[in-house]
Amino acid sequence: MAEVAYVKASRIFSGNPPVRAVDELSLDVSDGEFLVLVGPSGSGKSTALRMLAGLEDVDEGAIKIGGKDVTNVPPKGRDIAMVFQSYALYPHMTVAENMGFALKLRGVNKAEIKEKVAEAAKMLDLTKYLERKPKALSGGQRQRVAMGRAIVREPSVFLMDEPLSNLDAKLRVETRANIAALQQRLGTTTIYVTHDQVEAMTMGHRVAVLKDGLLQQCDTPRALYDKPANAFVAGFMGSPAMNLKTVPLTSEGAKLDGIVVPLERHAMDTASAEGLNEVTFGIRPESLALVGSQHHGMEMTVELVEELGADALVHGAVRIGASSERFVVRVDGRTPPTLGQTVKVAVRDATEIHLFHPESGFRLTN
Amino acid sequence: MRRFLDRHWYAYAMVLPVVVVIAVLVLYPLAQGIFFTFTNINEGNIANPVLDRAATYTGVGLTNYLNVLSGDPSFGSFWSTLIRTLIWTFGCVLCHYGFGLALAVLLNRQVKGRALYRVLLILPWAVPAFISAFAWKYMFNAQYGIINQFLRALGLPDPIWLGQSDWALVAVVIVNVWLGVPFMMVALLGGLQSIPGDLYEAAEMDGASPWQRFRHVTLPGLRSVSSTVVLLGIIWTFNMFAVIYLITGPNPNTRILVTYAFERFFSGASRDYAVASTYGVLILSVLLVFASVYRRALRKQGEVW
Ligand SMILES: Nc1ncnc2c1ncn2[C@@H]1O[C@H](COP(=O)(O)OP(=O)(O)OP(=O)(O)O)[C@@H](O)[C@H]1O
Ligand SMILES: [Mg+2]
Repeated sequence: MAEVAYVKASRIFSGNPPVRAVDELSLDVSDGEFLVLVGPSGSGKSTALRMLAGLEDVDEGAIKIGGKDVTNVPPKGRDIAMVFQSYALYPHMTVAENMGFALKLRGVNKAEIKEKVAEAAKMLDLTKYLERKPKALSGGQRQRVAMGRAIVREPSVFLMDEPLSNLDAKLRVETRANIAALQQRLGTTTIYVTHDQVEAMTMGHRVAVLKDGLLQQCDTPRALYDKPANAFVAGFMGSPAMNLKTVPLTSEGAKLDGIVVPLERHAMDTASAEGLNEVTFGIRPESLALVGSQHHGMEMTVELVEELGADALVHGAVRIGASSERFVVRVDGRTPPTLGQTVKVAVRDATEIHLFHPESGFRLTN
Repeated sequence: MRRFLDRHWYAYAMVLPVVVVIAVLVLYPLAQGIFFTFTNINEGNIANPVLDRAATYTGVGLTNYLNVLSGDPSFGSFWSTLIRTLIWTFGCVLCHYGFGLALAVLLNRQVKGRALYRVLLILPWAVPAFISAFAWKYMFNAQYGIINQFLRALGLPDPIWLGQSDWALVAVVIVNVWLGVPFMMVALLGGLQSIPGDLYEAAEMDGASPWQRFRHVTLPGLRSVSSTVVLLGIIWTFNMFAVIYLITGPNPNTRILVTYAFERFFSGASRDYAVASTYGVLILSVLLVFASVYRRALRKQGEVW
């Protein structure tokens, strides 16, 4: 068990121009924490993870495990286990041999290996398959073998690179919960890479959001959701995505279709200090509500209704200035509006509004 | 049966030409060869349309087999020739595989000019065998050959390579290794490239040293390619006639089963087709036995083949 730290660590791939796949990443992961690295494709998540594993050079900065600088230590010396996206199981070894391989290399005696493998297999419900080769397993079973191979070693850090992306949706949800529970039980520091923000939200103690190799924000899932540090994080976390629109700013607040949404003091001050006459206005679908025609609200023409059972997502067009913008509203699933209908939409609570700088994307609201 | 034919006649019709061709090209000569082994056929009694002579050879039962298997020197000392053939075959294939694997591993990483090295290493294969054989024959020349000049310069003994001694066998093994390595290298390179890179990374994470990665990832990953190319190599080398004959001619020190069959067939006082055929059938049987043992061994290791 150990804490992990990236200290201004960068990985630069040569090329023209050189790619800063991970750019001055600074991140502290405490002992026993489950940290999720999330970001769109190509954001440098895998690279960051592989730098920690020692599979990728660190061109600038340093990496520390358990307080010790391991920047130039080969993978072997880092006491880390990794679960690969492809699982990378040794095809010619049985499940038991796969799981015990690291111990065998370390010279642990046979009886002890067997015992540890059996224990891990029991934990992962793999006992029946110990003598099979990976080829004769289903995707989910292979995934568990890959987990088992990591667990058996009792490393100080687990690394996982999109371990669920080859599973079907239902199994993914199930395995997601199992991995989180397992980590809880073992208490091993874990760094988990995914591009799926639902996985990030549900599994991580903290979530680090990357984009183009740059760390955008690292915080608890709740905090990321409630107070995204910039427009990118706001748009990336949450499904369906937050409505983010650039709207004109007046002295009373942000001007949408028929309404002027009053804004919080702090945001107005910051905006005027910056001399902004526009802001990026963000509101989550569930923070909008349909209201009766007698109320104040934006007029929205319904273009699409997605029924999800418990609730429904209403997509519609709202006029902002000269252009028409698409908004998504989450409504009660039992009484969704019909296609083509014009409804009135209002902001549920002014504290749920997020304001961002229209150019830099930084958060203006508190 | 009728229904079966009704349903599948088309498939059979499609296969028929191939069956006929194989029967004519493979089975008929094979059957004829086996038939000759039970006769005393030679140049003197075979049918000869030029001399307008009818065939006069007669059946002799198992005599040919008994003569050959007795190991009598006048019938080619079968057993000692077989042993030499085995030494030749396994010596060559071992070197083919060893050098081929080493070169493949060297070429499978990012080195500058990799494409160039590959071409250069495949070159021996592209040169017609008789040209390289003559080049080697010249290099092995005891007096003027570059090899002996080199050995003398180093103060080492300079044997008469292609004379009547076991050096001749060493020489042909060297040439055959040189000729056969490119094939192994190309085949194994293909095998190496089909091993997924993340297996190496996983092994590295598991704490494997480079040698352990080679042993536990590379070698098992190459197993199916290896088993195929080694079997092919053994069959080819066992029957490798050209190199030996081009370099040493009918030298008893480099005599293997095929070269002796050839000698019997094309040279000597009376061309003894019967004994040559007997050798052919024996070679075929040795290889068949070997291949089936080999296959069983592989199957035991869980290789589907
Ligand atoms: N070996 C390499 N050489 C050059 N560029 C590379 C190399 N590996 C990765 N990159 C670049 O580095 C960036 C980050 O890649 P990385 O694999 O870390 O992305 P990722 O966040 O894991 O994406 P994904 O979700 O698709 O797996 C990408 O722009 C990629 O093109
Ligand atoms: Mg990746």
